[in-house]
Amino acid sequence: MQTVLNLLEMEPIRFFISFGAILFLVLNLAAILTMAERKTAGYIQLRYGPNRVGPRGLLQPAADVFKLFTKENVSPGRADLWIFLGAPIAMFIPAAAVWMVIPFAPNAVVANLNIGILFFVAVTSIGALGVIMAGYGSHSTFSLLGALRGAAQMISYEVPLILSLLGVIMLTGSLSFVDVVNSQGPNFWGWYFLPQLPMALTFYIAGLAEVKRVPFDLPEGESEIVGGFMVEYSGMTWALIQASEFASMGLMASINVTLFFGGWQPPLEFLDLGNFNWIWFGLKTALIMFTFQWIRWSVPRLRMDQLMDLGWKILVPITLVWLFVTAGAMLVF
Amino acid sequence: MIVAFAFLAGMTLVSAMGVVISRNVVHSALFMSGSFLGVAGFFVMLNAPALAAFQVLIYVGAVTVVILFGIMFTQKPQVRRFRTILNAQRWAGFFVAAGVGAFLAFILSIQNWGATSSGNGTRGVAAFARNLLGVTQGSEIFTLLFEVASVLLLVAVVAAIVVSRRKTGEGVDRGVEE
Repeated sequence: MQTVLNLLEMEPIRFFISFGAILFLVLNLAAILTMAERKTAGYIQLRYGPNRVGPRGLLQPAADVFKLFTKENVSPGRADLWIFLGAPIAMFIPAAAVWMVIPFAPNAVVANLNIGILFFVAVTSIGALGVIMAGYGSHSTFSLLGALRGAAQMISYEVPLILSLLGVIMLTGSLSFVDVVNSQGPNFWGWYFLPQLPMALTFYIAGLAEVKRVPFDLPEGESEIVGGFMVEYSGMTWALIQASEFASMGLMASINVTLFFGGWQPPLEFLDLGNFNWIWFGLKTALIMFTFQWIRWSVPRLRMDQLMDLGWKILVPITLVWLFVTAGAMLVF
Repeated sequence: MIVAFAFLAGMTLVSAMGVVISRNVVHSALFMSGSFLGVAGFFVMLNAPALAAFQVLIYVGAVTVVILFGIMFTQKPQVRRFRTILNAQRWAGFFVAAGVGAFLAFILSIQNWGATSSGNGTRGVAAFARNLLGVTQGSEIFTLLFEVASVLLLVAVVAAIVVSRRKTGEGVDRGVEE
């Protein structure tokens, strides 16, 4: 038994096993989140949501996946086939790969990169490429419009997103997510969302825009451009796009928790669960994901000019001001 | 290690060939991102993960995306084949490329690579930042260059605002009617 455990801890084997576990988690997260999304929508709109498959409709994701697997994969006749089929992959791989650097519990991280935050920023920026590929490859006007909106939105909101990380980086003095979590205390008043409240809010809003969710779902824009960059997709390619959307939504929630809400740290010191602190991480992340869904079913979509105004004229100045406040406070104290 | 190197080299070179050969500007731009990703992989192999992350962030995530964005805004999206306009210079281009290749091969072959290994470079982000910002008793020229670069970027941002600003009296166009 002990030899087996030692073997599993050896470097390439440990990495591949834990990466497989991450991939399993991400794909299941996507399936569960579609279910949760529809249930939340149901309860907010005073109806039940899916309740036919399994007890209280809990097996609905399995039925969805089965349906999507058996569905034909239609592509438009004049589509640029390589780009068309490559786009879902280019969207999913970045969304799944960043999960590597998230610490789920003490010592439970696939790769403790010393540039973890930089890695997150760099790899999520590839996602915009996937959106453009989907929009161009589909050879459809709606798709192209959606892709242009998506690219503009993701480039614009990357600026406040990155700027809002700088406060935490300054306070921690490290780019590693593990160090960021360790430097936040085991009580909730030691977490960074209190001294960095404007940054936390900015990161939340910019993250929401970065994963293209309501009220920032202009690239999808169901009621105006019917589905935006993913209008021509069907079957498993569509499912992969959805999976990457939900994976990046979960990712944004977990990064929110890691940077500003203490990661796996318990809210009060006596609630420390040791190696089972991933329960706290999961609970906090689920709460943030629920607020994402709550916002989705409560708020209307922004206009394009409002979107740009919010990003450049409100969020960027807030982060810059708070950056100076943080630097001044660190200089004084 | 050698497998990873061969894979990255193949990815970089094939993508770079694709940039030149492909007849479609969008394909060229996407191939370019593949080439940039290969270079980022080389930085990881050389123990410079920070450089790799910056390579991905700036070149793949920003430069390529902005290039694609520009292509899509300036060309009619209905036109499938964006003909490249530089084909008339193919022989001149061939000779320049061959000359540069021969020169680089010569330089690389006379260099003694014995003392250099991937482990001798700056390893951590911290050491990199200290060198860049001149915190330790290193040369402070990098700090000066760093500041000059940031001033240059600031000037570029201000200039972009000045160039793109509408003159007063042209009417308030907020782009709503799009």
